[in-house]
Amino acid sequence: MFQRFISAIAWVAIIFLIAPLIIIVGSSFTQTDFVTFPPRGFTLRWYVEAMSVGGFVQAFFDSLLIAAATMAGAALIGIPTALGLRMGSPRTQTLLRSVVVAPLILPAIVSGIALLQIYYAAGLDAPLFGIIVGHILITVPFFIRTVTAGLESVPVSVLEAAETLGASKARILFRVLLPLIVPSICAGLAFVFIVSFDEVTMSLFFSNPEIMPLPIRIYNYIEFSVEPVIAAISTILILSAFVLVTLLQRIFGLDRVLAK
Amino acid sequence: MTTSAIPDTKSYRPSAEGLRKPTRSQMSALLAPIATFYGLCLLAPYVYIFWLSLTRYSSSQLYVPDLGLQNYVSILTDNYYLGLLAQTVGLGIFVTVFSLLLGYPLAMRIVQGGKTTKSILLILTMTPLLVNIVVRTYAWLVLLGDNGVINKALDAVGLISEPLPINNNFFSVAIGLIHLSLPLMVISLVSVMEKLDASLIEAGESLGAGSLRTLVKIHIPLCLQGVGAGSLLVFCTVISAFVTPQLLGGNRFSTISTIIYQKFTFSMNWPVGSALVFVLLTLNFAVILLHGFMFREK
Repeated sequence: MFQRFISAIAWVAIIFLIAPLIIIVGSSFTQTDFVTFPPRGFTLRWYVEAMSVGGFVQAFFDSLLIAAATMAGAALIGIPTALGLRMGSPRTQTLLRSVVVAPLILPAIVSGIALLQIYYAAGLDAPLFGIIVGHILITVPFFIRTVTAGLESVPVSVLEAAETLGASKARILFRVLLPLIVPSICAGLAFVFIVSFDEVTMSLFFSNPEIMPLPIRIYNYIEFSVEPVIAAISTILILSAFVLVTLLQRIFGLDRVLAK
Repeated sequence: MTTSAIPDTKSYRPSAEGLRKPTRSQMSALLAPIATFYGLCLLAPYVYIFWLSLTRYSSSQLYVPDLGLQNYVSILTDNYYLGLLAQTVGLGIFVTVFSLLLGYPLAMRIVQGGKTTKSILLILTMTPLLVNIVVRTYAWLVLLGDNGVINKALDAVGLISEPLPINNNFFSVAIGLIHLSLPLMVISLVSVMEKLDASLIEAGESLGAGSLRTLVKIHIPLCLQGVGAGSLLVFCTVISAFVTPQLLGGNRFSTISTIIYQKFTFSMNWPVGSALVFVLLTLNFAVILLHGFMFREK
């Protein structure tokens, strides 16, 4: 009886989480000019329109460009920091760890405004650069955390072996240590890509009609209308998220990632 | 080959850190990029905003550098701002409580499930987390609008004649935010419940405690750390959230975040906007401190 009650609420929670997404997917096929569920008729017209109007394709490429630049920036700043974190004294490590996560504790809306204001104050006018800087700021803590975890799993004996055999510090770094942490660097970069691609608040402040990442393009659109063309784009994004989560579950096991 | 290439084994002592202790200059070289970046893009902006919050608003020249606490005083004595503060905190508490009420049973179900059930439930719970926040908010706009799916459906079956007022108010913003925060809550709870010792629950049951009693007396107390961590995460996310309150609240329901945005973009009142920024930050840190105090590691 009690177990049934727990199960019932669990299913209500699942339906609450998933139903809005299903309704969006369903209504993207409607033949009407407005969003409705269940959809009336079936058409792919809104998908065709998503490819041609509103600059969504351009916005998609803007998002890719921004994510790529963010990955490069996060790597350039994050890899040395992770090495410093690994090699520093315990006190340095504790201090660094708490400093590194600062951007995650501060609300993005506030950091975005602060960044924009100092931009104004410094007389800078480079929106694309502003978006990328904002994205690096909120992704670099994730990246550093992933790479630090990778560094910690490298056995000390390997480095000592290299050292005993006479390898210089630079050689140990570039020929032994970095190759060993390539997997965690890649995982970190994947994380950066996903976060950057989805980021809204930071981008909102710096976007202009020339540079507009995909989420901001959608945001501007839905402030004034909820046309089915947005449902079509949303469907593409929802299905990619679903595929991504399923892959993650297959490869890593979400429960194992969570239990860590 | 010269002997110098062979390390002197007598003087070689393996260092605990693997790489020998870096020199000061090597360490500074490694940390220079992050120090420069955080200094210019995090510290400097916040210091500047703090300075702005001490200036005085002027309609003709944006701000007058006439430093004082006047903006903070006006926020903490003005009923409008106090109401805004109460509204934001109320929203945070409401969303946290509802995420907990829905999330706790879901997390229990996930942990108890067999391999396949667990997998499916986890995928369904986590998928919204990777769907862009704008898309998720759009879904609620479509559902809750005056001409939205819910109102149209209720109208079609003849239950209502006027659209229900479920858009641009506390209710719509709260629903959108629960949708956002529920997976976060479930993750926090699942990670604690996974580590739970099943024998303690069984012991309780075999000693004759009913299911409800086992839940209240054993399960919940053992998961309290997860409840605390999840609630902190959700509360802080909600009071700082921007996109969802902005889109689902419209012009009729505001939180501190949406008013900060307005102050900076439309009314151009940077001094008061900046002061609100620090009010929001103080609220965040107060909750973090409170959480640390309540859930101190023993």
